[in-house]
Amino acid sequence: MLIPVSVKNGFQLLCKHKVPRAGFKNMAKSGLVLQSVSNDVYQNLAVEDWIHDHVSLEGKPILFMWRNSPSVVIGRHQNPWQECNLSLMREEGIKLARRRSGGGTVYHDMGNINLTFFTTKAKYDRMENLRLIVRALNALQPQLDVQATKRFDLVLDGQFKISGTASKIGRANAYHHCTLLCSADEDFLTSLLRSPYQGIRSNATTSTPAAVKNLLEKDPALTCEALMSAVAAEYAAHHRAAGHVALIDPTDEALFPGIQTKAGALQTWEWVYGKTPKFSVNTTFSVSYGQSHLEIQVFIDIKNGRIETCRIDTPDHWLPLEVRDRLNSCFIGSKFCPIETTVLTNLLLRTCPEDHELHSKWNILCEKIKGIM
Amino acid sequence: MERGWKSQYSQEFAMRLRGDFGLLELHSSDGTVKALTDGQNAFCTVSLYSRGAQELGAASGAERAGWRPGAGAVRALHTQHALLSVRKFTDKHAWITTENGIGTVGISNFAQDALGDVVYCSLPEVGTKLKKQDEFGALESVKAASELYSPLSGEVTEVNEALAENPGLVNKSCYEDGWLIKMTLSDPSELDGLMSEEAYEKYIRSIEK
Repeated sequence: MLIPVSVKNGFQLLCKHKVPRAGFKNMAKSGLVLQSVSNDVYQNLAVEDWIHDHVSLEGKPILFMWRNSPSVVIGRHQNPWQECNLSLMREEGIKLARRRSGGGTVYHDMGNINLTFFTTKAKYDRMENLRLIVRALNALQPQLDVQATKRFDLVLDGQFKISGTASKIGRANAYHHCTLLCSADEDFLTSLLRSPYQGIRSNATTSTPAAVKNLLEKDPALTCEALMSAVAAEYAAHHRAAGHVALIDPTDEALFPGIQTKAGALQTWEWVYGKTPKFSVNTTFSVSYGQSHLEIQVFIDIKNGRIETCRIDTPDHWLPLEVRDRLNSCFIGSKFCPIETTVLTNLLLRTCPEDHELHSKWNILCEKIKGIM
Repeated sequence: MERGWKSQYSQEFAMRLRGDFGLLELHSSDGTVKALTDGQNAFCTVSLYSRGAQELGAASGAERAGWRPGAGAVRALHTQHALLSVRKFTDKHAWITTENGIGTVGISNFAQDALGDVVYCSLPEVGTKLKKQDEFGALESVKAASELYSPLSGEVTEVNEALAENPGLVNKSCYEDGWLIKMTLSDPSELDGLMSEEAYEKYIRSIEK
């Protein structure tokens, strides 16, 4: 794995600014601790991609620490409709990101620390990393009861999940990243990670729900800053590195050439939603219209985030057959997305007769359809 | 006739015979041939089958310098074109076999064992064009999401749909039902750059140390 000379120098230059020469030599040889100055989930995920793709980790593992503004992060092969409350996220401006590692869905905010352990494939060892974190926690609070489980979670007091793990293995490198709940908004986490969407059939990987707790609740000394310092110190000790934490800016194209492209790719609709494994939605919604109350069944197949087949079964007397058929066919090929649905259905409505009753039924129906997206 | 093979007692290997009738490859339907050797002579029993499992012939006997008694059976084979090729391997633990210009790709037993239970197979669309060593998908297992690298250049013609509902097939049957993709070979000479089964076995032993 070759690093272009400028990049190598970039990393070294960065370190030189912060560390005396003797210290840098040690760091360069045995390990590096980096901390992001950005709280943008896409930028931080892009740093992971960049290091994974470009840096030779032979004898020089890296620990990367990062925190994000409120975001939900799904695993590579997951279905966001199944995993989280997308409409709540849209209302609240919570970002959705799909990472490149496997695993389940997590909520990030500034009270959650993300730790990424970069190694060569040969040195990939999740348990070693988790033991390191436990040692760091116990250094801060010796009485703390934290254990790593067989699923590579960290559990507090034998009951509360404080960390979840995911990883990626590439050509020569691997990374293991995990969360660490310090002072995150637990209630918000719970409501965001509860999907309201019914009738989804999918082969996507699913999350394993767990009761969570913040470390800060257990002990006021366990702040994010304290935890990050402790983990960095333990990492440096373990790898006999200099122990200095280098601050990095994920938007620095000089330091990370090509990183903006990576960050961009992570934000595309095609990656976030389009990568969802094929799934189908089979559900019913109730519509009240005037005195009548009807049940409308929908059967929708979605591939690459787009509607492949669509059957919205409105009763024949409620909407003219011709209108219903036009509605069903207009959805084929469009994104399974409320914004796109709004545009489409508004356009289609213009082609329908100017009938007040028809228009109001149409609007009610379309709101219901958007509600399942 | 050139003897282009080596074997050790009960080791599996692929044979390639060159003769007056051109290059032939002889393999049983699962790509293995069992042979014994005392270093000087070859003792070999070969059963030969076409893809349709119709037995074409069998050659057996001790040879000192060639396969003369077996030539009859070999000659019969010459007219058969639909033979399965030998399985070749990459250093990324992918395998490929070819038949009528179409390659079937999967991961090796070593790889599936190292991965652990596969929970999801992310495979490319039919029609995707791949260059040798390109990432073409990923396998998610309890261990990690691991990238898949194409052994050769070509175009994806088929994807194993059974893996959508049953990703565990990759673990249970990595050389048969757990195949991943089929592809055309835009440059068949790339096959020469891949490892034979024997070379791959050696390679695994060297990295396991």
